[in-house]
Order: sequence, then C-alpha cells, then structure tokens
Amino acid sequence: MKSTKPSAIIADIVKYVILIAGALFTLLPFVWMVLSSLKSANEIVQIPPTMIPKKFMFSNYAEAWAEAPFPRYFLNTVFIATVTTVGVLLTSILSAFAFSRLDFPGKKIIFSLFMATLMIPGEMLLITNFITITKLKWIDTYKAMIVPWLANVFYTYLLTQFFSSVPEALYLAAKVDKCSDLKFLFKIMVPMNKNAITTVAILSFIGSWNSFLWPLLVTNSTNMRVLSHGLVRFQSEAGTKYQLVMAASCILVVPIIIVYLFLRKYILEGMSYTGVKG
Amino acid sequence: MKMRRFMALAMATVMGASLLTACGGGSGSGSGSETTTTAAATTAAETTAAAASGETEAAETEAAAAEKSIEPTTITFWHGMNNKQEQSLTELTDKFNAENEYGITVELVNQGSYSDLQTKLMANAAADTLPDIAQAYNNYFTDYVDKVVALDDFVANDYPDWDDILESYRTENSEYGKITGVPFNKSTYLFFYNKTMFDELGLEAPKTWEDLEHIGEVILAEKGLAAIGYDSMCDMLEAALRQHGEQYVDASGALFNTAGGLETLEFIMNLYNSGYARLVGEDNYFSDSLSNGMIGGYVGSSTGVSYISTDIEGKEFELGVCPVVGDKTNAAYNAGTNIVMFAKDENNQKAAWEYMKFMTSKESTIKWAMDTGYLPIRTSAYESDEYQEFMAGDITAQAAYEQAPYGFVSKASFTGSNEIRNVVSTTLNELITEKADAQTALDTLIAEINDVLQ
Repeated sequence: MKSTKPSAIIADIVKYVILIAGALFTLLPFVWMVLSSLKSANEIVQIPPTMIPKKFMFSNYAEAWAEAPFPRYFLNTVFIATVTTVGVLLTSILSAFAFSRLDFPGKKIIFSLFMATLMIPGEMLLITNFITITKLKWIDTYKAMIVPWLANVFYTYLLTQFFSSVPEALYLAAKVDKCSDLKFLFKIMVPMNKNAITTVAILSFIGSWNSFLWPLLVTNSTNMRVLSHGLVRFQSEAGTKYQLVMAASCILVVPIIIVYLFLRKYILEGMSYTGVKG
Repeated sequence: MKMRRFMALAMATVMGASLLTACGGGSGSGSGSETTTTAAATTAAETTAAAASGETEAAETEAAAAEKSIEPTTITFWHGMNNKQEQSLTELTDKFNAENEYGITVELVNQGSYSDLQTKLMANAAADTLPDIAQAYNNYFTDYVDKVVALDDFVANDYPDWDDILESYRTENSEYGKITGVPFNKSTYLFFYNKTMFDELGLEAPKTWEDLEHIGEVILAEKGLAAIGYDSMCDMLEAALRQHGEQYVDASGALFNTAGGLETLEFIMNLYNSGYARLVGEDNYFSDSLSNGMIGGYVGSSTGVSYISTDIEGKEFELGVCPVVGDKTNAAYNAGTNIVMFAKDENNQKAAWEYMKFMTSKESTIKWAMDTGYLPIRTSAYESDEYQEFMAGDITAQAAYEQAPYGFVSKASFTGSNEIRNVVSTTLNELITEKADAQTALDTLIAEINDVLQ
C-alpha cells in the first residue's frame, strides 16, 4: 500500500535526487577517463580543464597499445589472478573448516601463530620471500607470482569466523547420517557461506590484479610481466603522459566490464554482504 | 608515494640486517674519511686519465691483449628507460650487438621506473643475484657498494680518453674511492620561463640571486603570479648553498650551520614568504603551470622540456631557457644515472666493459643526446659539428651546455644520504607553508638532517 501524501512524495523526490547525484559522482571518474583518453597532450594539461575534447585524438589508443605487449600482459594477469584465487579459496576453506569444526592437539596455539603473522607488515617479508624464490630458482616463472599467495591468513580467519557461526547441530546431524567431513564441508558448509566465500574470492582477485611490486621483483622478461607494469610505462622522471595512461586504462577496463556483466549477481551479493567497495 | 618511501625504508632495514657484514665494511670505510677519500679518488682518476692519454701505445697493446680473450657471452642490462629513451637505447644496443667482434649480446631488461629499478636492485643485492650491468644513481648502492665492480683497472688500461668525459661526471663516479660506473643518461636543472611575459615586463633572463628577486617582485606586482618554482626542493637547497659558497651535508651531518648558511636560508625563505616563489604541490612538476601561464618560470630537469606545451589555445607563449642563477659562484644540480657493473664472471666483466665503452663513445653519446634530450657526457661530443648543429636549434641544449662546467651531484656515499633527500624536501615544504623565518628554517633543517644520521 503506497501512500500518496505530499510529504511522502517530497521524501521520494529527495531520495531520488540524492541517489542520482550519487550515481553521477560514481560514474564521473569513469567518464572522465574516457574523455581524457581522447584529448591531445596540450589539452590534457590545460587549466581549467575542458570536459569534452576539442578534437578527438583516437591516435592515443594506437600509441598506448604500441607501448607495451598488452594482450600478453592481460593473459598473464588473468591467469595469475585466477589460479591464485582458486588456490587461496581452497586453502582458506579447508583450514577454516579445520579451525572451526575439527578438534586436534595444538589447535589454539597454531591458530594464534597464524594470527601473529598478521602483525608483520608485508614489506618486511618482501626481501626474505624474494631470497627464497631466488634460491628455488623460480625467478621469471608463474610459480613465483602464484605460490607465495596461495595461503592467506586473513581470509582463513574471516572464513573461520563465518564457519563458526554455523550451528554445531548441523554438523552433528550430518555425522549421524554418516556424512564425511569433506562431504559436509562442500555440501553444506560452503553453500551456506557462499557470500563470504565470494567476498574472499573477489578480494583475492582484485588484490592479485592490482599487484605491482612483487611481480616486478620476480620477473625479468617482458613476456612474464603483468598489466600494472604496462601502465607505468607512460611515466618518466620528468612527467606523465596522462592521455596515454587514460587510453590504456580504457582498453584494459573493457574485459573487466565483460566479466562483470556475467558475474554481476554474485559480485553484488558479495559486496553488499561486507560493504566492500570496488 | 608515502607507501613507496616506507617500503624503501623497510627494505633498507632488512637489508641492513641481512647484509650486516657488507654494511659494516662498506659504509664504515666510506664514511670514515669522507672528504679525503673523494679528493683522493678524483686525483686518482685524473692521474689514471693522464697516464692513459700519455701512454696510449702501452694502453692499446694491453687493450688488444685483453680483447682477444673475450668469449661470446650474453650480458644483462637492467634499465629504467621508457618511451623514446628506451627506443634509442635499443637502437644503440642493437648496433653494438651486431657490430662487436666478440659475439657479445647485450640483453636489455626494462625494470619500470627509477624507484622500481632501485627496489629491484636492492632485493637482488640481498639475494646476490644482481645483473651484469645496471643503470644506477650512486645512492642506490650505498649499502652494497662492495658488490659494485671497481672499474679503475679497466679505465686505466682500456679507456683511451677518460679525461674527455666531463669532470663533474668523473668526480661523481669516483665518489666511493673507486670508479663505480660510467656516466650515461645525464640531465641538469635549468630555469624555464615564459619569455613572452618577461619581454612584456622588460625582464631579462636571471643571472644572479638579485635578478631572481627582482623578477619575483615585478611579476607579483604586475601579474599577481609567482615567478619562480622548484621541482625538487632538496636539490634547490643544495644548489643555493653551493652558489653561496657553502657546503651541504656529509656523513658527519649538516655543514651549513654558518653565517653563509643563514644568508642562504634568508634568500630562500624571502622568495617564498614574499610570494615570489611557490611550492609545486600535488602537480609534482611545474611544467603544467608554465604551460598554462600560471607561473613566470621554474627550475626543473632539462628532460622535462617535452612536457611544456607552449601552444595551448589562448595561452600561447615563447619559451625561454637559461642556466640556473649563481651567487658567489655558479652551481647547477646534475641528475641522471650511470652504468654500473656487478658482473662476477671475468669474461662477462670484460664483455660488459666493451659495451660500456661503446655506450660512452663520442658517437653513441651524440646520438643518445640528440634522440632523447639527455646531455652528451664528453667535451668532444659537445664540440662536434653534429651536436653543435643540433644545439643551434635547441635552446635547452644551449643552456645546458652553458652551465656544464658548474655541474655537481649530491654526495651519496654515506648511509642515510637517500633518506636525507626525502627529509629535507618534506621539511622545506612544511617550513614554507608555515612561513617560517630564516633562523627557524635553518635550525629545523639542521636538526632534521642530523636526526637522520644519529
């Protein structure tokens, strides 16, 4: 039953105005990126900035495309991000299950040790990890970019908390029905925590997609580099060619939009569940 | 940016721990007798150069003997060059690979930007997996200078015209008491200005501190604009101190707690407090401001000229370029890296040296300079017909040539030199924002610098 009182109509108008303004604000950086990618080198530094380019410089796209082997970078990034995400999901789900449901000696101590590693800043581990990778002779391989990220304490912790909130009765009931632990985990626990797991997957994928320093450290050949390395090629010691950065960003965003269209439902669920912003 | 700095710091700490021996040995001997070491090194370099040119025959015989024993090999070269710089570097390297008679192949590996390259080198120094050669500033390897191959013997025996290389570059590469590299992509800080505006107001290109103050006064009064900006605050401070005959920093701490140091800070703080100069802020570089007629001029890297647009609609102007001003003396900050050798294998060292000779040859440095806007590293290259002709049509190159004799580079061979750069820039920014007086500025800067070295 919708009321049609004037005050309610005004409230609706206010609500929609705010929502539309919010949507425009969110969209603006994207529109700005597309428009900037079509400006000339002169126009992009002009103050005050112009909104619509005076002349559409489609050549920016060709120039940006030629600067780095973007298709290869793209494949590398997708491959690394996908494998890392699948791997991290597997290890996190299994260990979270162990910590939340199983009883084994030293469980609390091991869990505390896990948590303690969260207190060490990643930068401190960079050099030691790098030396390990070097000794393993993994430099310039996909392994070097994937294996160190296959286990993540934070995700394990997150899932442990979610798994713990599933009533113990369900587990016991499954046991009574002679359901194995693994079967219980993948038939009941995982589907029940679909949203939390999606969140972990998205966080992991985005993290891997955006990573810059580690892939740079462990690779030397152009063929092994990732997208983020392509984007810094437009910067030099004396300035940045913003129009080319924007053109390259526009190219790179297309596949993401396609993926998003397919996975929209899950991503939205995952996002709204934790309030994580993209 | 902040994150990067933190990371560099964090890594330096780890490096310090994992390379205790290296750190202890390397920086200990470097910082012990700073000035004498450098002076001795310079003389040593000059003596070897003199010896080399005096006994060319002997050197050639020895060189010939050395040449014969190079086996075909592949050399890895890590660099941080992008765009047209990378293109020119690739062309030169292809030429070397095709033409050298020993079957040496140089493989170029792009490691991103300078700071990425610096991080990578640091990590690989810790893992002991450094490349054969790399582009590097001296402050990259302060903590692992023992891993840098001393080139003194190569220079003495197999480099016939070392003294043709500009003196400031030779001094820079001898800073650690041994020759650590050969100069490669060199630039210098110049004063870029809006010549149209200067002409209109009857202003000339500045030559002295007084000129700069006058320009600031006139442009502020007539146009309501700042006339001066500095892309790099720490380099500005060191240059100003040197121009006033003062010294900056060494391993023992800040050296400008003097009457002259105070006068220098009075000059600097007056520029800012009067509104003649302003900070760059979030733009990072003043090239955009100059392009848009929002500042009279600025001091920035000679390589930044390609980022200045003089033909934005309604804001067209003629660009002026001149050497940075002097006071009691002239001093201009040089920037740009050297090629440094880490190769352990003797054959690779010889092969790498062939490449380093090739890259610093007169022909290569001329091509490199004309392609990229970097500066030639040899006097003979500056004086060549080819470069003179190029320079006639390039005002930036002219100004750089004019101030080439006054070039200097910040001392890097002591622990903390890198951090001082960051600290000084941040502190100066704060002091200027607070409109501090000269004495406060001087005291704060000295305290902050000495704090790093404690």
